[in-house]
Amino acid sequence: MFDHRRIGIALAAPAALFVALGFIVPVAILLSGAFGTPGGWGLQRFAEFFGEPLYREVFWRTVKLGGLVTLASALLGYAAALAIVDAPAGWKGRLTGLVMLPLMISPVARTYAWIVLLGRTGMINQLVTGLGLSDEPLRLLFTETAVFIGLVQLFLPLMVLSLVSALENLPPDVVSAARVLGANWPLAFVKVILPLTREGLVIGGTLVFTGSVTAYITPAVLGGSKVLMLETLLYQRVSVANDFVAASVIAVILIAMSVVTHALLRHAAGRGRK
Amino acid sequence: MNPLRRVGVGVLGAVLLFLLGPFVVIALAGLSAGETLAFPPQGLSLRWVVAVFGMENFRASFWLSLWLGVGSTALALLLGVPAAYGLARYRVPGREAVRTVLIAPLIVPGIIVGLALLRHVMIPLDLGVTWALVLAHTVLVVPYAVRVVTASLDNLRPDVEEAAVLLGATRLQTFFRVVLPNIRGGIMAAFILGFVTSFNQVPVSLFLTGPGITTLPIDMLTSMEFVYDPSIAALSTLMALLSIAIVAVAERALGLSRYM
Repeated sequence: MFDHRRIGIALAAPAALFVALGFIVPVAILLSGAFGTPGGWGLQRFAEFFGEPLYREVFWRTVKLGGLVTLASALLGYAAALAIVDAPAGWKGRLTGLVMLPLMISPVARTYAWIVLLGRTGMINQLVTGLGLSDEPLRLLFTETAVFIGLVQLFLPLMVLSLVSALENLPPDVVSAARVLGANWPLAFVKVILPLTREGLVIGGTLVFTGSVTAYITPAVLGGSKVLMLETLLYQRVSVANDFVAASVIAVILIAMSVVTHALLRHAAGRGRK
Repeated sequence: MNPLRRVGVGVLGAVLLFLLGPFVVIALAGLSAGETLAFPPQGLSLRWVVAVFGMENFRASFWLSLWLGVGSTALALLLGVPAAYGLARYRVPGREAVRTVLIAPLIVPGIIVGLALLRHVMIPLDLGVTWALVLAHTVLVVPYAVRVVTASLDNLRPDVEEAAVLLGATRLQTFFRVVLPNIRGGIMAAFILGFVTSFNQVPVSLFLTGPGITTLPIDMLTSMEFVYDPSIAALSTLMALLSIAIVAVAERALGLSRYM
């Protein structure tokens, strides 16, 4: 009964047309703006973009923060995920729920909490001045550290959750077998757990890295105009200078970064399985 | 207990404190009795929680966000449910390509979608802010609708539908009386996921909202720059509780995590 192609096409067409006209066409037009040059088409706009010291700095800061956030999430994520998987049966679900909880909450609310903690009159500064460690409040907000902390808090749950599901699929007793055969704990981790959970690490890593480099709220609130990342730079170029060419170039860079990360990490995961 | 595990338990505790502690901080800051944002709070009271409900701008943006979430998710389901069904059951040419198109809005950063819609749809077609927001949020929710409903269709055996048709039901009757009741849970889960996504959405709406018409999260984001009293902390807490309540009820009733 499901051989009628026409019915299938008729059912899928409205949604496909809607997404094509309401999303793919406008985004494609926007991205094409990055390749237009006075003489036709070319990559001149990218050369100009990377020729600008400020833009170059923002680009490298975005890559650097994305990498550091992914690294920190992987380290904390493995430790947390191992502990969750080892927890008694009744606790496993509850602990996973607690890790998942922040994902349901508005990123604006999640980021605002750090203003309360890190601001000039925030808790950390009250402690620092109260204990006499410093006479003046420290500048904690609008620093790369603040953006880093905010991003880790935002994306760490994704890493923990994908590592938990990878660890749960680990064949039982492989770790004990490695131990019996003489591997110490670090060696068992590197030789057994890491290769067998590589796919989960790759999925989590992709989510965290692409999430961090394309984040807007965290750098906007915790970094401000002092610590620009690519998305906040895009917003600033458009709202302050009506510079749509730079916006298109940044858009292409952001999408290219996501696609390249997906491809690279998928490649890494594929190699790990063989 | 091996040493690595003991370290793991310690790190897990620290991680949970790091992930959840800030919400305790913000909730307490929002319950402050004082005039300025501070932690620890200067005495506890509900004055800012009450005050938030009386603030005209937040009230307007809350209602816009609420209706935007409901409206665009409903639209996305109207488009997404038939599409998911058609693609799951019928031999559509280029099925994988069509699926990719429908999921694509998830891959492109929201701020780019917003800017593209502003420049190449909203301005050329002279679209109002509300309609532009509905369009943008519907585009954003379609992938969730397609994905969740597809997962729920995969759990329904097609022979049941074939049996219904053999027994004399039309295709339309089969869909409404056999398929729909069986994927109701998936549709509800997609609705909740879509609503929460739309309600908390910032980057997509960033370029589309204006000073007069804005959504709640963007209103909060712009207010942060000049509001130093605990009202935003109170509002953040209320929003967090609302999201948690919706998701918790959905998890109890539908087992939402099965679809994610």
